[in-house]
Amino acid sequence: MTLGNPALLLHIALRHLTARRRQTLVAVLGVAVGVGFFLAVSAMMVGSQNDFISKLIDAAPHIIISDELRSPPEQPGLRAFSEGAVELRGYKRRTEVRGIRGWPAIIATADALPGAISSPSLSGGITLKLGGHDEALTIIGVEPELESQISSIDDYLREGRLHNLETTQGGIIIGEEMATRLGVRMGDVVAATSAAGNSRSLRIVGLFKRGQSQLGSTTGYVLLREAQSLLGRPFIINRIGIRLSDPYAAETIASGLEQRFGYKAESWQERSADFLSLLVTRNVIMYSVVSAILLVASFGIYTVVSNSVSDKRRDIAIMRSIGFSQADLQLIFVAEGLILAIIGVLFGWALGYGLMTILGSLDFPIAGETQHIPLDRSPRQYAIAAAASLTAGVVAAWLPARKAARVDPVDILRGAI
Amino acid sequence: MSADGNPALEAIALRRDLPGDPPATLVADASLSIERGSFTTIIGPSGCGKSSLLYMLGLIDRPTGGTLLVEGRDVSGMDGDARAQLRLERFGFVFQFHFLLPEFSALENVMLPIRRLGRLAPADGKARAMDLLRATGLDGKEHKTPDRLSGGERQRVAIARALANDPALILGDEPTGNLDSHNSQRVVELLKALAHEEGRAVVCVTHDLSIADASDVRISMLDGRVRSIERGKGNSAP
Ligand SMILES: Nc1ncnc2c1ncn2[C@@H]1O[C@H](COP(=O)(O)OP(=O)(O)O)[C@@H](O)[C@H]1O
Ligand SMILES: [Mg+2]
Repeated sequence: MTLGNPALLLHIALRHLTARRRQTLVAVLGVAVGVGFFLAVSAMMVGSQNDFISKLIDAAPHIIISDELRSPPEQPGLRAFSEGAVELRGYKRRTEVRGIRGWPAIIATADALPGAISSPSLSGGITLKLGGHDEALTIIGVEPELESQISSIDDYLREGRLHNLETTQGGIIIGEEMATRLGVRMGDVVAATSAAGNSRSLRIVGLFKRGQSQLGSTTGYVLLREAQSLLGRPFIINRIGIRLSDPYAAETIASGLEQRFGYKAESWQERSADFLSLLVTRNVIMYSVVSAILLVASFGIYTVVSNSVSDKRRDIAIMRSIGFSQADLQLIFVAEGLILAIIGVLFGWALGYGLMTILGSLDFPIAGETQHIPLDRSPRQYAIAAAASLTAGVVAAWLPARKAARVDPVDILRGAI
Repeated sequence: MSADGNPALEAIALRRDLPGDPPATLVADASLSIERGSFTTIIGPSGCGKSSLLYMLGLIDRPTGGTLLVEGRDVSGMDGDARAQLRLERFGFVFQFHFLLPEFSALENVMLPIRRLGRLAPADGKARAMDLLRATGLDGKEHKTPDRLSGGERQRVAIARALANDPALILGDEPTGNLDSHNSQRVVELLKALAHEEGRAVVCVTHDLSIADASDVRISMLDGRVRSIERGKGNSAP
């Protein structure tokens, strides 16, 4: 294969394209629109996905160890007479353990992982009373110092901070909905009663924003000590939340902890398996749409290059007679496809950037708050769009270019068409 | 140019068959030799195979039989790339229709073979193309595209382009076929000078008997065969 100076071949390709401006423009626009909309759509898809995942990851601890047993031990009777003649049914299996036994050892193990922080908590049901009005509430007793490091509760507070639990004696944080139902505000005092028969007065030191389904409108936070004494279970915890430096290691670490200590250790991935598989489907849909867009864009390129080859049969014959090789001719027309794709990508980048800027500036009032569309504007999407378009451009130009290389100059020169 | 005694071109029993039903023979048993410094014409009725023979001599078409030597070198076994390279270095073509690239100026057209060969620096290549255009009487028209040149001017640009890489052989397929007598005369004088003054081998297919009469060697064809090879006035044969 002999090839001429690439600059010369490029020069010829460019002249062919500038000689047919309208077609060139249409093909370039095809690529540009494809790239632009890909960028806008993928920015939204990836952006909302990242936003979603980071909410999944960060809203709750990466791993939650609870006082449940995933595969409860068999009843002693069954163990002893596993092949007995009498079938035992309706045995009560021990699926619930009241509190995590030996929890300090678990916490010590978790804290020994590099970058990991764990926070013990105790939850249980209480009743809030105010002026003859009753509301059931699940309280979670936490160490604010630790809990605020493993979950982003503070982000969900409209008023107050988790830390307030430590500074105010008998403080509680509840949701705005609950506060509305009880008719209380920050600083008000409510009466709390537990099934254990304990009761005390609690002061509202924080309010969750409305619509935080992650926390629920019937959840409240108190100090761990407070929960233990209110629920009548001193020194007991029934949940350990763990935050890891690498959230994606949660699944492995969780199963290790579960194997070692026997308590159910649930990773955020397990918790959100349904959502994660939904994301896979979303990605498949997105990339199918993108492929379709690029396919259409490559039709435009194919048309231009193919027409260019048919129109330029005479020029091809001339160049061949002068001494251009078949590879030269092929490269000239592949270069035409590549040039169209490159210009299309550049315009497409600009278009995509513009669309993302517009999307990013839109305000959406959701639950009384101004929200923006989460957008992923990383260079990765630009690179994917460019790589896909350039590949499509070269592939689309390849077939007509091969035809150009195979043009037999003899008939054209003799015929003088 | 090589100093050996080989003729510029030598064809031995050259043949071109077209496959098909029935198969056709465009050229049969053509044996001839083209000397450096001579102006040769090929004449014959329309459709007798003149162009077919010329394209084989110029390595544009492949013979289906016989042997062709270019400056003493057998080119029969050469692949397409090697033939293209040889065309680029040793041959220049002029056709009946000008066959310039329409999007390129006269200067750019002439520079095309120079740039493809890539032996001259861009500035030198441009200077050479300008010289050639001046020599063919196209001063001041260098930047015009073919559609803004007259027929005679276009054909002279084509000759300048054929000369771009200083070829040993110039082949023309009715290069004056589309020109009026004045322009035709001018082109013929130019081609003759290339043979007689610069020592190139010039071969032209023509219908114009006055051109044939003025040539050094006249090859007559009929029905795909060479009927006669006559020496002309003998004013310059080596
Ligand atoms: N591809 C082809 N298929 C069939 N016949 C052809 C083809 N090319 C040329 N011919 C025929 O071959 C003969 C020789 O053609 P050509 O060499 O162009 O003649 P000339 O140049 O002498 O007019 C003509 O009769 C022409 O019609
Ligand atoms: Mg002919």
